[in-house]
Amino acid sequence: MEHRQRGPFVTTGVVTLGLLAALGACSSGGDPVASGEVATPRSGGALTFAVLSDPGCADPQQVTSLDAGYWARQVVDSLTDQNPQTGEIVPWLAESWQVSGDATAFTFVLRSGATFSDGSPVDAAAVKRNFDTLVDLGARASTGIGYLRGYKGSEVLDGNRVVVRFESPNAQFLQATSTFQLGIVAPASLDRSADERCAGVLGSGPFVLERYAEGEGVDLTRRAGYAWASTLWDNGGEAYLESARFRVVGESSVRTGGLQSGEFDAAAGVSVQDAGTLTANGANLVVKTNGGIGFQLAARNDAPIISELPVRQALSLAIDREEIASVNYVSGTKAATSIVSSATPAHADLGSQLRHAPDEAKRVLDAAGWTAGADGIRVKDGKRLVVRAVWTNGAVGNKTLLELVQQYAREVGIDLTLVEQDQATFVESLGSGAFDVILTTVTRADGDVLRNTFSTKLTNQFHVPAGGLDDLLDAQAAEPDPAKRAELLAQAQREIVDNLYGIPLVELTTVVGVSPKVHGVSLDASSRLRLHDVWKDQ
Amino acid sequence: MSTSAYRATLAGPTVRGWLRRPGLLLSCLFLLVVAVAVTRPSLLAGADPLHGQIGERLRGPEAAYLFGTDHLGRDLFARVVHGARLSLAATGLAVALGAVTGTLLGLAAGYRGGVVDAVLSRLTDVLLAIPSLLLSLAVVTALGRGTVNIAVAVGVGSIAAFTRLARAEVLRVRRSDYVEAAQAIGIPWWEVVARHVLPNSAAPVLALVIVEFAMAILSVASLSFLGYGAQPPTPEWGVLIAEGRDHLATSWWMTTLPGLTVVALVVSLNRIARAVQGR
Repeated sequence: MEHRQRGPFVTTGVVTLGLLAALGACSSGGDPVASGEVATPRSGGALTFAVLSDPGCADPQQVTSLDAGYWARQVVDSLTDQNPQTGEIVPWLAESWQVSGDATAFTFVLRSGATFSDGSPVDAAAVKRNFDTLVDLGARASTGIGYLRGYKGSEVLDGNRVVVRFESPNAQFLQATSTFQLGIVAPASLDRSADERCAGVLGSGPFVLERYAEGEGVDLTRRAGYAWASTLWDNGGEAYLESARFRVVGESSVRTGGLQSGEFDAAAGVSVQDAGTLTANGANLVVKTNGGIGFQLAARNDAPIISELPVRQALSLAIDREEIASVNYVSGTKAATSIVSSATPAHADLGSQLRHAPDEAKRVLDAAGWTAGADGIRVKDGKRLVVRAVWTNGAVGNKTLLELVQQYAREVGIDLTLVEQDQATFVESLGSGAFDVILTTVTRADGDVLRNTFSTKLTNQFHVPAGGLDDLLDAQAAEPDPAKRAELLAQAQREIVDNLYGIPLVELTTVVGVSPKVHGVSLDASSRLRLHDVWKDQ
Repeated sequence: MSTSAYRATLAGPTVRGWLRRPGLLLSCLFLLVVAVAVTRPSLLAGADPLHGQIGERLRGPEAAYLFGTDHLGRDLFARVVHGARLSLAATGLAVALGAVTGTLLGLAAGYRGGVVDAVLSRLTDVLLAIPSLLLSLAVVTALGRGTVNIAVAVGVGSIAAFTRLARAEVLRVRRSDYVEAAQAIGIPWWEVVARHVLPNSAAPVLALVIVEFAMAILSVASLSFLGYGAQPPTPEWGVLIAEGRDHLATSWWMTTLPGLTVVALVVSLNRIARAVQGR
């Protein structure tokens, strides 16, 4: 009879799931490998680096993801670099610069001798063309376009001097020139269309982009004759590694498994559950807190329920940030103590406001008229206290982070409904405001990240009501003196944390697992990989 | 399989008969436990399946936690037990959708024949040519996330198998003497179908329902595993297996034990389906 033919299919299915179960049962062993003696860097060798996601495009100016930064940073050089310890801006392609008193004009003096990988010089004309075309890229270069907001134009003063002008004060621009999104691309690449550039661009960086295969990864080779390293790097000449391959590996366990087996030399996105296994097997973890806004539940500040300040306050008080940091993230991750992370130059410690106080949260809700309902979820005027949290699985631990917050919220009577979306739908929701709260993070080693995120004069994705915050954010943008600017940014942080336009959770930490055979791995001020100084044992 | 064999299997199971088939006995007992999990989960597992104790996270199986605890300190056994209802409700919906739609289409094709049969049979061929999980994936992508959507997707994926089987059975029954006699004495066609054709071609379809149920459990779990199903904190078997995969290296029980539960249920159902088929 016909239906008997279905038998084998069932068996196959059982085998598949059974295999998965068996996979779980076998544990991995291995002897800890003693880390090698400090040795002199060795030139040569190929490095394989596992990242979480595909960039979708191989043009540093057009990518936004943290994963793209691992390779994009190596392909282009920037006008400046930023000291990760002090936040100070230091020379790279530009050997000096001048900022006008009103922070609207930036004059850069370029170093001589730097060339793109096609041999053409890195000169003032190339810098001007980069900024001009970046503005034309529009939304495709969403990060860079934010840095260049109010761009009036650039003027070539002579072969190696260029002045960049803005309509209105733009103090953050100097730090922005240190990011790879404003990295300088060769004019030959700028001649091509935005789509063509996605196949790869030419830069002046220590590595040359050899090949990008969608879904697979990016191959880089060493740039011969490189001699214009950032002043922050140890090695002034060519990079040590001969080549580097970045591979897209979505599964966290596969990345760490590959790192243990030697298939990968380094892996991004190490989860807390794999960190112990990796270090026990001799691997090193390079950990750095990202500047900018860490993980936050940004509220839609004009939506019913969540627009009530007591609801946001209660949600914030319910959350045990220290527990989240210790349970869900690699050691070294800090609980949020402000809307920006402690690695952001103008960070102000507001930790006492972001305390864990569930009883206080309940009192706040009681006072606001939200009374406990039959199933433990609070009710007011017949409406249940339901908050819809939109998220995407873009970073290791996002799901557990939200599950934890969901538990805390439930303890005080808030039903946090989790809505997982794919990356594209998530971006759409963010743009259209289809959320009560949304899990976001923005990496930026400059306090101006607050203006981009919370100013009502820009996109205002979180529907923040216009008010005093705008004045503070505008004032810091016009303040060239770093100390005065930091004070204005501290006021802005207090304003945001007082009103909880976004509910800070934990700081975002970049964690790279590194094989014991690989040395010199470090992260720059924007938490991007510095591949130039990396070398590998024979 | 003949109808008498089918009856013999279901009727008169003696103690000796059961003991001669321990696999069948175990399968039935396991099914009974699952039935309790679906109807009265708190009888089997008293712990809260949704709320965890962070301090108890990632504990291995022990007396207090039969299946261990997960990454949020929730009792995994409670989650598996409480997840049974949703998982099996989705499965039941999927099979019901597939069986009812498939049987009706098969009935139409087999009884009417001609152009109707040709069109329906070719459509079935097309559906059978696409792997059913792939078809389900396409449907669930169009419908969006959610357990009901998964059930519909899996149901659509199993329609073709039921259509084929029902058509074959109807073709056989339609040519039998009593059907031809009924038609000859002028009984209207709907009555012939309802009273003679359908009851006499139903037995193999019922056997297929059990086999398909096992298939559907796997498909529903697979789609949930891929993230199309229940959203946290709701427990569902595929979700539980997926949640454990980031902890494979350190906490084997998180994937293994829910996985083995699914395997045990599927194997039990297959064993019972074989018994129903008289083997």
